[in-house]
Amino acid sequence: MKISGSHTLQFPPEKAYTLMQDPDVLARAIPGCESLEKTGEDEYRMKMKMALASFSGAFEGKVRITDQTPPQSFRLLVEGTGKIGFMRGNGLLKLAASGAGTEVSYEGDALVGGTMAAVGQRLIDGTARMLIKRFFEKLGEEKAASG
Amino acid sequence: MATTIAKPELLVGKRLRRREDPRLITGTATYVDDIKMPGMLYAVIVRSPHAAASIKSMDVSKAAQHPGVAAVFTGKDTEKVGPVPCGSSLPGLRVPHHYILAPERVYFVGHPVAVVVATDRYVAKDAADLIEIDWDVRGAVADPEKAIADGAPPVHPQWPDNKAFTHHQEGGDVDKAFAEADVIVKQRITSQRLIPTAMETRGVVAEWRAADRQLNLYSSTQIPHLMRSLVAQMLGLEENRLRVVTPEVGGGFGSKLNVYAEEALMGFVAMKLGKPVKWIESRRENFLCTIHGRGHVDYYEVAAKKDGTITGIKLLIIQDLGAYHQLLTPAIPTLSVLMMPGLYKTANIRADIIGAFTNCVPTDAYRGAGRPEATHGIERMVDILAAELKMDPVEIRLKNFIQKEDFPFPTATGLTYDTGDYSLPLKKALGMVGYEKLRAEQAEKRKKGELMGIGISTYGEICAFGPSPATPAGGWESATVKIDPSGKVTVMTGCSPHGQGEETTFAQIAADELGIDIDDILVLHGDTAIVQYGIGTFGSRATAVGGTALYFALQDLKAKIKKFGAFLLESDDATLAGGVVTCNKTGASKTLQEIAGATYRAMKLPANTEPGLIATHFWEPTNFTFPFGAHIVVSDIDRETGGITIRRYIAVDDCGNILNPLIVDGQVHGGVAQGLGQALWEEAVYDESGQLVTGEMTDYVLPRAHMMPWIESDHTTTPTPVNPLGVKGVGEAGTIGCSPAMVNSVVDALSPLGVRHIDMPMTPEKIWRLVQGASSQEPVARMGERL
Repeated sequence: MKISGSHTLQFPPEKAYTLMQDPDVLARAIPGCESLEKTGEDEYRMKMKMALASFSGAFEGKVRITDQTPPQSFRLLVEGTGKIGFMRGNGLLKLAASGAGTEVSYEGDALVGGTMAAVGQRLIDGTARMLIKRFFEKLGEEKAASG
Repeated sequence: MATTIAKPELLVGKRLRRREDPRLITGTATYVDDIKMPGMLYAVIVRSPHAAASIKSMDVSKAAQHPGVAAVFTGKDTEKVGPVPCGSSLPGLRVPHHYILAPERVYFVGHPVAVVVATDRYVAKDAADLIEIDWDVRGAVADPEKAIADGAPPVHPQWPDNKAFTHHQEGGDVDKAFAEADVIVKQRITSQRLIPTAMETRGVVAEWRAADRQLNLYSSTQIPHLMRSLVAQMLGLEENRLRVVTPEVGGGFGSKLNVYAEEALMGFVAMKLGKPVKWIESRRENFLCTIHGRGHVDYYEVAAKKDGTITGIKLLIIQDLGAYHQLLTPAIPTLSVLMMPGLYKTANIRADIIGAFTNCVPTDAYRGAGRPEATHGIERMVDILAAELKMDPVEIRLKNFIQKEDFPFPTATGLTYDTGDYSLPLKKALGMVGYEKLRAEQAEKRKKGELMGIGISTYGEICAFGPSPATPAGGWESATVKIDPSGKVTVMTGCSPHGQGEETTFAQIAADELGIDIDDILVLHGDTAIVQYGIGTFGSRATAVGGTALYFALQDLKAKIKKFGAFLLESDDATLAGGVVTCNKTGASKTLQEIAGATYRAMKLPANTEPGLIATHFWEPTNFTFPFGAHIVVSDIDRETGGITIRRYIAVDDCGNILNPLIVDGQVHGGVAQGLGQALWEEAVYDESGQLVTGEMTDYVLPRAHMMPWIESDHTTTPTPVNPLGVKGVGEAGTIGCSPAMVNSVVDALSPLGVRHIDMPMTPEKIWRLVQGASSQEPVARMGERL
């Protein structure tokens, strides 16, 4: 499944880039994230809770950041498994100055399996969009809090 | 209680209500899940979430220690249990070893890898969630055409081309027919994967009585005896130590014409633990792990003369087999080849099948099993040819039909059609629908830009499976009739039903033959300890083969009743009628009850006659039977929404003699529902990684009552000479006749827009896109992609 879109942040790319590399900020901004623990250089172990339609479940997974070109782009690799299935994602995030703010565009592939795929397929795309939107909104709040 | 005698009228042919229905509609029937035993344990099966993967490691310790868990077994524990059987043999067929639990590699989502047994189903489920499996995920392929293309990931590493078999069949001189043709039409036609979705999912209860060395297996199956033979082999148990009981079966449609891993697995668990164990399939498991139907990609070419005479047919079938062969998986497309000429007099055919392994659940028999695909193909092609030649679809059919005087007719595919008069049901259906008037109305509507279609299919099918040499496991059927000393009659049939109403129809046959009341007859089935042996219920065979076995057993008994009656009357000229033997000279008579009592009391016996009144007959048919019919669908299409409204549905079926018109109607209605399901709504969709994305009923659209049209059903009657009842079979006719009529109707409606073919299911979105002028073959976008 392809996922792509864009979101505008009200602060410059440098700030946005820094925030998005900060595990503490990410832990707070990623919807459902329960913990994000550094396991190596640009590698994290993440626990998150996700709800999809009538069922929800805990996921455990790995997050890796590669191809960093601050403050323009980086690649995010996510892998998670839980009782309701598994997911794997790979996306490139691009940051571009847009007036005083930043236009973040993302493009990637996501693969889901297990119960989640069999039952929730119709909803995955919409849910993913909603989660991404929430993430960026949270990121905006983090910026406001951190100044 | 006295046996009622001298019944005034015959029951065969009567619209009798089904005797089995009261218990079904009052919720008092016993299904597998209703069976409860002291100390019973419950099993939950752990299944692969991946379509292709290896098990790097599996840790079951947490599950095993979970309170209430009796045991956890993995593929390592069950490695010695025999493989899930493939009953078909084709030359060069590649048969992967199908473990009941995968010990190392998994090949489809839902592949069983472990079983958790606990005091309660929910405890077992909780414990199953504690099993940790580290997977090495591999590349998967879910599309049969992609699977056989170069570079596809191999489903089974030992066969990198993903071809389980190829099959070639030829009749006549196809090359000459195509070389001399005036016109050749070609079309790729798919028959999508379908999920059989019986109302009752599968279920197994196993009870091991160690002291008796007896395994009792309760299973929701269409084939209790074949299951006993095969599961006994898998478990290494003597066949006579295994008893298979089939209680009420809530639908099968072919999906329970199988032996699955779970039967042997529950047997294994019960024997290991010494306790009864129950497994009931969840609906999600049913979608993922019970066989699917269809899964064809067909490439058709039809050669014809200018006047519409069909001279040759070429067909390439790419069959999506899934990851394994279940009982009949590879045999199903060969049935399509047998039926590929349909009702038409074509001497020249060429067919090739490529059986493609995919990382999906296996396909196998689903209502019609190979014949709906063939009928859909030929009936679409005949319409495409008619459009090409600007002929009326009725005219082209009448021109090519095998004629009444041609029977028995040897087909180019090697069958011998028994009897037929193919124009009869077509003409009757045309009369019912008012064909000429409808065409005039359609012409008027077209002037106004309105979309109205008239679709015709004239189908033929193979029923009454079948002569033993032509079937994988014997094609005969058996019946025992036992008359008790009180004169009450028990019929035991080897055709274990799953909704066919045999407790009614078989009792009708016995009541008429013996001349007694139907309430004095009990029909038993589905228990290998009670029934002699049997093949089972599938392929529209129960009445034509099982009913005939019963008929012959009754003839044996009638001879004995008459002999005994005459003996008791000291008569040398006696007649058996209405359940009474009467001396034609004195008028003295003995009732069946008196005679039955005397045969068991045995104070005096006629010469060379054994006591008792029991007869068993195993009947071997000499041929299949070949029912036929015509279905017509009148549809209106909404240009704005792509919605299809079925205005009229006409079904004229010729299934030979009809024993019970109510049951025949029921079969036609159910069959049409499933045909419309395929034509309009149902499709099992796997994504590229082999995940079934139509994994529940919100995504897999089954027909519901309000979606069904009013079915105007009628019949013509052309009896078969193959059996003395003259019955042909009707269990699958509705499905077979339906889908091409429905698609032909919509294509006819859209033909002014240049539409020539539409693949199923014809969802409103697909139709809307066609009306809007978009490409017909574009994959249908899922809702999510439009958000």
